[in-house]
Amino acid sequence: MEQLQLAQLGAGIAIGFGAVGAGLGIGFATKGLMDAVSRQPEVAGKAFVFFLLGAALSEACALYAFVIAFLLLGK
Amino acid sequence: MEHWVYKLSFAGHTLAFNLDTIFTMWAAMFVLILFAILATRKLSVIPNKLQAACEGIMNFFWNVMGSMNTSKEHVPLVASLFLFILFANLMGQLPLRIIHIKSGELASPTNDVNLTAAMAIIVLVYYVLAGIIKKGGRFFLHEFSFVGIVMALVELLEMITRPLSLAIRLFANIFAGEILVSIALGACAYFAPIPIMLFEILVAFIQATVFMMLTIAYVSSATGEEH
Repeated sequence: MEQLQLAQLGAGIAIGFGAVGAGLGIGFATKGLMDAVSRQPEVAGKAFVFFLLGAALSEACALYAFVIAFLLLGK
Repeated sequence: MEHWVYKLSFAGHTLAFNLDTIFTMWAAMFVLILFAILATRKLSVIPNKLQAACEGIMNFFWNVMGSMNTSKEHVPLVASLFLFILFANLMGQLPLRIIHIKSGELASPTNDVNLTAAMAIIVLVYYVLAGIIKKGGRFFLHEFSFVGIVMALVELLEMITRPLSLAIRLFANIFAGEILVSIALGACAYFAPIPIMLFEILVAFIQATVFMMLTIAYVSSATGEEH
């Protein structure tokens, strides 16, 4: 295969596997939020802030993969 | 996303400046400085509306620092980082792209990895210096034993990974948002990007909060008593 085709294949693989991890992370975070809110509905506001922080932190892993994919495509 | 690069040759070396980033960064800083001057010009015991609003904002930072058990002396760095990142991120949603420049486009200054890396390095230098001032040499080597040396090596590694992750996280979030908006613009012009741009406003607040929280966590772990 050509160099460019290999780079495009690598970019696709990178963003795909990166998205798997971030999706799992945000899913677990949502599960934790649902558990907490269904047990103690009065902590909903405070728990949601921490959920957003955790979701943003785990989403960042997919964005690292996005940056790598973009670097690969730029070559 | 091209940048408007200005190359400056100096004694055989070439310095490259991303002029669009510099313009939008100074615009964000100009808004902040204007607010600061207007709010502190006529200070009084009975505050007017602007002073009351700014006191409320500072109170928020004091409460956050108090809830994270960190000394209040670090509020200036944390508050200015948060406000600057927030203004810089929100600047990307302004219709600045109608101003044509030589190459690239005017957008959020945080879509340039150089700016976020500079802020991450400022945070690294700040927390290392704060730890050295608070603890002296014990900041690097907590106790002279096998466990202590291993922990010191792990912390040396963290000095590389922490600013790297700080810089890439902020840059990639804003950059991915702009790519997403431009893809949606290609799908259905004017209508498809609107929900994504509203989501980007939320992302701007979240990323500024994440940067602030991580800075507080790093400073408090560097200056805290227990390691």
